[in-house]
Amino acid sequence: MHNQRPQTQDSGRVVVTGIGMATPLGVGKEAFGSRIFSGESAISDIRSFGTQSFPSHLGAEVTDFSPRDFISLKNLRRMDRISQLTTAAARLALDDAGIAVNLANRDRIGILMGTAFGATDVTVHLAETLIKEGPSFVNPILVPNTVLNAAAGNASIELGFRGVNVTVTHFAVSAETALAYAIAEIRRGAANYILAGGADILSPFYFEALTRFYALSPGDGKTEACRPFDRDRNGMVVGEGCGILCLESRETARARGRKPYCELTGIGLGSSPTPPTQWPTDPAGIKRTIRRALDNAGIGPEDIQAVSAAANGGRVLDAVEAAAYADIFAGAKAKDGPAITSLKGALGESFSGGGMRACALALSLGKGAFPPTVGLAEPLRPLAFVRGETKALPIEHALLAGISFGGTYVYLVFSRCHGEEEIP
Amino acid sequence: MHKKKRIVVTGMGTINAIANNVPEFVRALGEGSCGIGEIDLFDTTGYRCRKGGQIRNFLPRRFIPAEFPLKRMSRADFLAFAATLEALHDAGLYPLPEAMKEDMGVAIGGGSGGLLEGESFYSDLLQKGSGKAHFSRLSSVYCASSTDRIATYLGLLGPKITLMTACSSGATVLGYARDLIRNGQAAIMLAGGTEPMCRITYSSFNALKSLDPDVCRPFDLHRGGLSLGEAAAVMVLEPMESALARGARIYGEILGYGVTCDAHHMTSPDEQASGAIRAMQAALKDSGLGPEDIDYINAHGTATAVNDAMESMAIREVFGRRAYAIPISSTKSMTAHTLGASGALEGIVSLVALAHGFMPPTINYRDPDPRCDLDYITEGARPAALRAVLSNSFAFGGNNTTVIFGKRPDGSAGHA
Repeated sequence: MHNQRPQTQDSGRVVVTGIGMATPLGVGKEAFGSRIFSGESAISDIRSFGTQSFPSHLGAEVTDFSPRDFISLKNLRRMDRISQLTTAAARLALDDAGIAVNLANRDRIGILMGTAFGATDVTVHLAETLIKEGPSFVNPILVPNTVLNAAAGNASIELGFRGVNVTVTHFAVSAETALAYAIAEIRRGAANYILAGGADILSPFYFEALTRFYALSPGDGKTEACRPFDRDRNGMVVGEGCGILCLESRETARARGRKPYCELTGIGLGSSPTPPTQWPTDPAGIKRTIRRALDNAGIGPEDIQAVSAAANGGRVLDAVEAAAYADIFAGAKAKDGPAITSLKGALGESFSGGGMRACALALSLGKGAFPPTVGLAEPLRPLAFVRGETKALPIEHALLAGISFGGTYVYLVFSRCHGEEEIP
Repeated sequence: MHKKKRIVVTGMGTINAIANNVPEFVRALGEGSCGIGEIDLFDTTGYRCRKGGQIRNFLPRRFIPAEFPLKRMSRADFLAFAATLEALHDAGLYPLPEAMKEDMGVAIGGGSGGLLEGESFYSDLLQKGSGKAHFSRLSSVYCASSTDRIATYLGLLGPKITLMTACSSGATVLGYARDLIRNGQAAIMLAGGTEPMCRITYSSFNALKSLDPDVCRPFDLHRGGLSLGEAAAVMVLEPMESALARGARIYGEILGYGVTCDAHHMTSPDEQASGAIRAMQAALKDSGLGPEDIDYINAHGTATAVNDAMESMAIREVFGRRAYAIPISSTKSMTAHTLGASGALEGIVSLVALAHGFMPPTINYRDPDPRCDLDYITEGARPAALRAVLSNSFAFGGNNTTVIFGKRPDGSAGHA
């Protein structure tokens, strides 16, 4: 079980050749990259709806986004916001990978998207009409957008790719699971190129719901802020956005002469019995899943230089995740252990934000730089957290962490590609 | 290339409009029972249609032992967990051996999730205001709730996956669960789908005018749309070697699957049938089979005007002249269309057909449609010794999934 991946040929090795982003820190990898690596945060007062009646007011919203730059008017009219962000990011990822969808390749291009909540506000609106006015008043135009796979479907209609098309919805590991599934599909040869990532959007309804679950900062009534791994953290801040990677086999990338950002070398999937909607309190599930990912990549904890963490400023999650790292990397002195950062300090918690974090990690491997955890002042444990500014760090292997309430875990190993310089 | 691990099905569980368990389902499929009738789960006043494939008198405690608290579970959660317990019993794995939990996972395809309960929450929110609405009831609204319940109640430590590709969710999970075992990410998987009857979903299909006011009539000239249903269907998947080693009864094998997208329209299938054709072709290729190897097709067969003609055309395209020699049925004529569960439910139908040696009928059929000119098994179930069965699931968003099931390996323990 959980042994090294069986394929060693290039056809079974999965690389990242494109990055597409529509995020609170900008649209496109250039805008996002310049801001995330300079340690900026996208968190500020929510502007898209009023928060006066709530104890929380902060969020990370996608603001400078013009859907018309990416989507034809004909299709745009049918799309809600999550479909728009997804379609834009998918287009950017294809462009970045140098792939033009055409009659010859469209059946071998697919999409695997994660979304925790989809277009919740559309469903709520439909329910409201039904309850207040009755079934005859339900608008059929709204219906397709209430289905969680709408974003992947709309992206395929706009961009014309017709291969494998699946939507994963498993709370805060939706995007990481979609990536894991996509890696398996490329290894299996089910498609030549798969766009994989996640998208979720901020809506008044779901903001209120999170408020009522007491999940948001300031849970202790003190200062509202997102402070992953900090001693004084007091809850999450919500975000939104979409991040998508273009995955293909090393063989096809080589044949096309594309230099990949990185290789995806290991998958770890796991669970631990946890009450619904609650965060796990025992690090055992996280540790087990990390070991599975490392085994799958054929490496050990000592080979990891960087961890893109799941911590969101919540009391329970951050503590259990840090405890797991303290144990897993116990062989190394704290300061020599892998660099750890949570980009949720800059992007907030958007549940399927694993897509955006995966994009950032691919950029980090390419640049040899690892961004800081914005908001982290006093670490809750002596681990090698990146604070203040981006750390110059050549990364051979890194972990992308996915942890969800309900006790679900996904860890992925991102590795540097070697020998690609010779590509003609 | 090393040889791919063969993955077999050793346990099944279901609750649906015509059966409370698999043995009842086998009998009902053989008899051609119709589970479509007047809905009493909610008020259907003001709808174009008042019928559906509802599970009657569903009492969770009849299916779920007292050790599992029912608090805050949705109808989708109840159905999924009940089907899971039956599948584990059926596989001889209940109570679950402690040593199996480490590498056992669960993959569930969802649809409406907890929207039945969600509607009553929204209703409170609108009528009583947010101060009085119990937001904790939202905890079971999302599809992943069913998956989380199963894993946590059973103490599973393996992968936990929830897919939502609308009406193909339950088929796609079977393929991915197979691959999770093949790839070494799990030693054994529970995989299936769950779908509750609920007013919000019913209203959506009502608004799209896709419901037949009467019972649905797949492939019939006068078919007037689909009937909505509810179900859960869950299977136990494991490698053939481990099933043989523990002397498990084997229903059949998951030979292959294919997933494609129409990239055409969110709610209407591509009338050129490209997505459906490619899904069947991809599943055949993944199975290492040719068109001559398929002995029965469990059709998507929703009974919408477009789907049934499109699907028949796709089958003709994939199978050529042999299309006319392959018996096909839409068991949605009996169970109604169970959306997110349908792919898994029809997976069970396919395995029942293989293990019990009969092909279930398409009921409610009266008048032939020249565009649907294949053999739809309209005169009752037919006995047949089947080698491989192909099952189609096409969905909203243009998502198409085909799964191919094979007969149990020769010499393995079969069905009693």
